[in-house]
Amino acid sequence: MSELAPLSIALLVLWGGIVALDLVSVPQAMLSRPLVVGMVAGWLVGDPEAGLRVGAVMELFALDVLPIGAVRYPDYGPATVVAAGLAAGAPWELGLGLAVGVGLVVAALGGWSLRLVRRMNARAIQRRAAALAAGESGAIRLLQYGGLFRDAARGIVLTGLGLLVAWALVRWLRLDRPTAVGLTLVAVGTGLAAAVNGAVRSAGRGARLRWLAAGAAVGTLLAVFR
Amino acid sequence: MTGRWRALLRLFAVQGTWNYERMLGVGMGYAAEPLLEDLKTVDPVRHGEAVVRSAEFFNCNPNLAGLALGATARAEYEDVPGPQIARLRTALCSPLGSLGDDLFWAGLVPALVGLALIAVVFGAGWWAILGFLVLYNAIRVGTAVWALKAGLDAGMRVGSAISASWIPRAIARIGPLAGAGIGLAVPLVAGWYLRGFGWSGGSGALAIAAAGLAVARWFGPSLTGVRFALLSMVLLLLFRRMGL
Repeated sequence: MSELAPLSIALLVLWGGIVALDLVSVPQAMLSRPLVVGMVAGWLVGDPEAGLRVGAVMELFALDVLPIGAVRYPDYGPATVVAAGLAAGAPWELGLGLAVGVGLVVAALGGWSLRLVRRMNARAIQRRAAALAAGESGAIRLLQYGGLFRDAARGIVLTGLGLLVAWALVRWLRLDRPTAVGLTLVAVGTGLAAAVNGAVRSAGRGARLRWLAAGAAVGTLLAVFR
Repeated sequence: MTGRWRALLRLFAVQGTWNYERMLGVGMGYAAEPLLEDLKTVDPVRHGEAVVRSAEFFNCNPNLAGLALGATARAEYEDVPGPQIARLRTALCSPLGSLGDDLFWAGLVPALVGLALIAVVFGAGWWAILGFLVLYNAIRVGTAVWALKAGLDAGMRVGSAISASWIPRAIARIGPLAGAGIGLAVPLVAGWYLRGFGWSGGSGALAIAAAGLAVARWFGPSLTGVRFALLSMVLLLLFRRMGL
């Protein structure tokens, strides 16, 4: 992690808040997809290449998630902001592994914080149960704005804390080159496993599985002969 | 701005108060407010009841919530008995959840992410990101506009409108596209990362990927992809610390 300017840190934290909101609350425009988050975060700290590399690996992990119903899942948005900030300024082959590792911890914490916000929303609804039962539109509006505020605050705090931990970790954990490269290979390998696992699970046993296999065969040929 | 357009904008925040008790309920109430405004002058008592109903438990895919919102709002204006409207809301939860999840979360999103990853590997950079965002949002905003209009037009007959719509056909087409897109993308992304590490580095990463797949089959969902990745990284750091 290169020394980030205060403005870059502020922009990263703001971007973390925006993408945390986008995941569930508003506007669900897919700004929170790691590929998008990483590229923008990398650009904010002056290293879009590192952001893109980190974002693509985090995207592989995100492909393992099917966000249906009340299912619990990690929040990869703020996590990718932190990871891109951590990877910036170093050759990606050396910085990616540790960045993705820290990003995955932040993603898991993000999933936990999402559940916390949902429980806080439920408590806020219980407090205004009488107003809701009386059909007060004002109470609905207040609950809605409160929910959005809590989610944005969640993203900002998560990103800020994540960047702080990343900054401390880089100073404490001095990695030699083979270890840094090894971590990068582990990050890529486990990301590939997560993506394939998610794709196979979603494919079931019908036509989609056949299309997945055909795509994989063509992709492998392209990757080998490219 | 008409009530319909304000309701449409509010639908993009329909999950703003997501919780384990009412799920999308309060968000639906927030989106319904502009549509129910005219009812306040016509029949204030009915308006109050409609507001209460609009914020009760509801859950579905957010991109198709407009169908339920439009249908129930129209039913309120047509003076359909309250319990019947409540039953309609409940009945719409499962189909709108299932259809929307298949269309968006299991279909369109992985298909477009796969295409974006392929474009990134071939050097498209920002264009890949921009193309992904524009394409996805064009489809989802178009779907939201259609859903609210279809719900308002159909009212209590919204079930037949959904069955006769383009959605089931689109799901049948998007699934194979998503499979092919991800299938193509994963090996290309693997090559993009591993090319620079030589034969030993590349095969090491692929061995880890194979182990991760096996572990997910045997121990999933207790050992998720994230947990396996973190465990592998910690083990690597420990081995390196021990000089292995």
